Amino acid sequence: MKKLLLTTLFLLGLSTQAIAADTPLALIQDTSAQVLELLKKDDGKNTARIRTQVETFVIPKFDFTRMTALAVGRGWRDATPEQKDALAREFQTMLVRTYSGTMTRFKNASVNIKPNVTLNNEGREATVKSEITTGSNNGNGSKPVNVDYVLYKTAQGWKVFNVSVEGASLVTVYRNQFSDEIRKNGLDGLIRALQDKNAKLARGASA
Amino acid sequence: MKPLRLLTIVAALSLSACASNPTSPYDPYEPFNRSMYNFNTTLDRNVIKPAAEGYRTVTPKPFRTAVGNFYGNLKDVFSVLNNTLRAEPEKALNDLMRVSINSTFGLFGLIDIATPAGLVKNRTTLGDTFASWGWKNSNYLMLPFFGPSTVRDGSGLGISLSIPGPEKLIYDTLPQAAGFYGLYGVNERERLLGVEKQIDESSLDAYTFTRDAYMHMRAKQTGAVLPQDMDEENIDIDDLVGEPQASAPVAVPPPPKP
Repeated sequence: MKKLLLTTLFLLGLSTQAIAADTPLALIQDTSAQVLELLKKDDGKNTARIRTQVETFVIPKFDFTRMTALAVGRGWRDATPEQKDALAREFQTMLVRTYSGTMTRFKNASVNIKPNVTLNNEGREATVKSEITTGSNNGNGSKPVNVDYVLYKTAQGWKVFNVSVEGASLVTVYRNQFSDEIRKNGLDGLIRALQDKNAKLARGASA
Repeated sequence: MKPLRLLTIVAALSLSACASNPTSPYDPYEPFNRSMYNFNTTLDRNVIKPAAEGYRTVTPKPFRTAVGNFYGNLKDVFSVLNNTLRAEPEKALNDLMRVSINSTFGLFGLIDIATPAGLVKNRTTLGDTFASWGWKNSNYLMLPFFGPSTVRDGSGLGISLSIPGPEKLIYDTLPQAAGFYGLYGVNERERLLGVEKQIDESSLDAYTFTRDAYMHMRAKQTGAVLPQDMDEENIDIDDLVGEPQASAPVAVPPPPKP
């Protein structure tokens, strides 16, 4: 009887975990826990390797095409499939390169993920809120930073397509820069601008 | 007195820049703001940033923390006043307790013992007060030296600097005032060393990047709705990435503000 009970409990545990891993909340919780785990292994010498590990782990959780579409806005409709691919690819490269450079700063960070998730768009979209406190304590104290993740449901599970920090989201911060560039030089101009930026960043990284 | 006069000049200049064609509904003074941004960037590159780097080399971190706490304590005094004006008695009392504890046991504010004691920092500026009185939407304004702001927050800052505050007990003469604000500026800049590189790397246009990030953060703090956000809500992302629908509703952008 006791064994049966234990087995049932065990199975119950397994099944709730299986369900849990499929919710936006669980995705963010698992991802941030594992990223922090990885960052803790950084000892100053293996930074490059840790960075690659975090990147390969985190990138599949994002949908960069959707993120790019939202940042480009109305212009996205006029883009050819090739232009869309190029835009998403260059934007992803830029974001990954610039933001992963800052990740070691979050080595001693603590992440507090709020359990109440806001669902939108008939449950297909979700916003997960979190508070990140970086380890460094200076004049302004270690005031937690509000970071929100916006996810949507795909056939491959939930994917993040927007992140906002203290109310400023990636998508909105890039939208004006993108539309300015499109207005001046067209979609190809924007692709070129992103390529130039990435080439410059690559040179900076190797120098 | 001085900052107020400066602000008048700023306001006059901004209005004269009004006639041009803005690209963002909350940045009608863009030409002025851009030139002020370039002025700040040049000044930072040549004077302020090197000074902050030197300051970082010669001062130990606890010293810089103490300096930050000292100025923070003075800001808390203004916060007491502003939370009173906003009719937030609990916050005003919290700030008053902070100032009392930090000014005495915290050795004139050099040590922030109020925060670990559970009295949260909820620094409130005159700009926040104006916002809670109803001045929610305010256009972007790049201030010299101080950086990104809005017309509302810049006016608040100008008034706060010109009224008799606790800082006037510390300095008397103009050189003393310059030293007081100079130390404040360098100490603040030291904390932000590296941010300029980050912005430069992650943007196509650093001016637009800074403006949009600032305006969205500030909107969240004050509860404002930026004019552009209403336009953004009309974009249906599923429609954008999915199959184009035959009868997709065409969203009409709101007319630009005069």
